[in-house]
Amino acid sequence: MFSQLKIIMKLWKASIIQSMEYRGSFIFSIFANFFDFIFGLLQYLVFFTAAKSIAGWSSDNMLALYSVFMFIYSLQFIFLYPNIAVLGEMVNTGGLDLLLTKPLDARLFVLLRKISLEELGSLSTSIVLFIWLISKGVFVITFQSVLLFIISIFSALIIVYSIYITLTALAIMLEKMEDASEFIWSLFSFCRYPTDIYPAKMKFLFFTFFPIAYISTVPAQTISGLGSTEPVIYGFIISILSLLISSAIWKKTIRSYTSAGS
Amino acid sequence: MLHLKAHAAILKAYLKIMLTYRGMMILHLFRVVLMPLVIAAAWLSIEKADGNPYENSDYLLYYLLVPLVMNLTNSRSVFRFPVSVRDGTLSRELIKPYPPLMNIVIESFTNNLQMLLYLVPFTLISVFLFQSHFDFSFLSYKMVPISILAIFFGALTRLLISGSIALTGFWLEDVTTLNLLLNGSIWALLGGMIIPVATFPEKIRQIAELLPYRYMLSFPIEIFSGRLTTLAIYKGFAVMFFWIIIFSFTARFIWKRGIKIYSAYGG
Repeated sequence: MFSQLKIIMKLWKASIIQSMEYRGSFIFSIFANFFDFIFGLLQYLVFFTAAKSIAGWSSDNMLALYSVFMFIYSLQFIFLYPNIAVLGEMVNTGGLDLLLTKPLDARLFVLLRKISLEELGSLSTSIVLFIWLISKGVFVITFQSVLLFIISIFSALIIVYSIYITLTALAIMLEKMEDASEFIWSLFSFCRYPTDIYPAKMKFLFFTFFPIAYISTVPAQTISGLGSTEPVIYGFIISILSLLISSAIWKKTIRSYTSAGS
Repeated sequence: MLHLKAHAAILKAYLKIMLTYRGMMILHLFRVVLMPLVIAAAWLSIEKADGNPYENSDYLLYYLLVPLVMNLTNSRSVFRFPVSVRDGTLSRELIKPYPPLMNIVIESFTNNLQMLLYLVPFTLISVFLFQSHFDFSFLSYKMVPISILAIFFGALTRLLISGSIALTGFWLEDVTTLNLLLNGSIWALLGGMIIPVATFPEKIRQIAELLPYRYMLSFPIEIFSGRLTTLAIYKGFAVMFFWIIIFSFTARFIWKRGIKIYSAYGG
């Protein structure tokens, strides 16, 4: 495990060096992402000139949701997204075969080979926004709420990771799914607003079979003192379940993979 | 000078290519309609602030039309051009007997055109399903041709802005971030994607009406919904023409500078 981690670190280093080759463009990207975050923030502020609350969420609660959402979103963008973006090509050109022959855990290498630091601008700004909301007294800070919040963020990350594994497996299985990244984009579109805005049936779906409620809504609810303990516990159980299911799908896919490229 | 025959042939070829990947189109449709529907769900669950002129039916009609207008004014030329500079395919375009960028423009146009195959039925079915929720009293058939005209010029404005950004690809390795900044985030905020421009606070609305972004999305829908006075429509078209002229010159200027430093490699 330790040696695998070492190799991943080396790959990340190579990935960073590669992006540093165009230093101007790299710095500009971080800068632009920072502004993209600010525009996202302005959207919420303007939104609340026409609305008093969204499905019971005040503007402060929505800012909490935005900071949690951007935190998870930028983390997946840094670590996972660059890999799925090139997956279709890898399957079609046979690059995946080369990776599978290496004496390493293929799942880790398919999913974590590349890293993109461009979203660092959004990641750091989301943390700054979060700290600002703490200082403003928006959050309920007790031992229990912080612990539940950490668990809910952990569950959110596991769910996102599991979705990536499933999508990767699907992309390999179907051999032509260059738009797996489109799906990720759509998934996060749902997470930009609290799940309370959706009709009851959809809401049920988001808490069970398509568990995106645990990505941004539940953590934001927990730290804002809007929710109860149950969703956090369910979220944790569902995250573990999704990890197990996605691992099973992955294993089955790799076992039946017959190579598509040349 | 117009090379109509050549352009028609290219258009036909692109349509055929795109129709080969019909499955992808459905996925793309899903992506185009998803965000407006999520935002519509958010607006339908709000507690309205005082002075907000939009009713639930207005939000519903607005966001059902957003995918259609958004797609018709969309310009996908931004990412294609810098690639053609880098891999040298631009050299091939330069020796063809029609304007070199026409290929990219037609490809983007074809893309928008073929999405209509899905978006028009989607919009019609949605309007039919939700018809009891709408307030049709403002709608007037006279506004339809004016809305179409506004969509056409809105598309031209977006094409010229995206084109100007794309042309910086002569110098920049990657224009994605510049596009995200000048075309993506501001457009989403001030174009009427997240918040309909008519519901902005007075001062922000005035700024939005002077910038080009509103004309790529919100303006045609506002005309169609019958919520604009004749004077406001004239004013809107005037502002739009101003930006079209500005960005025509900008794009031309960048092209002339860029083509001088372009040294062909690859192909």
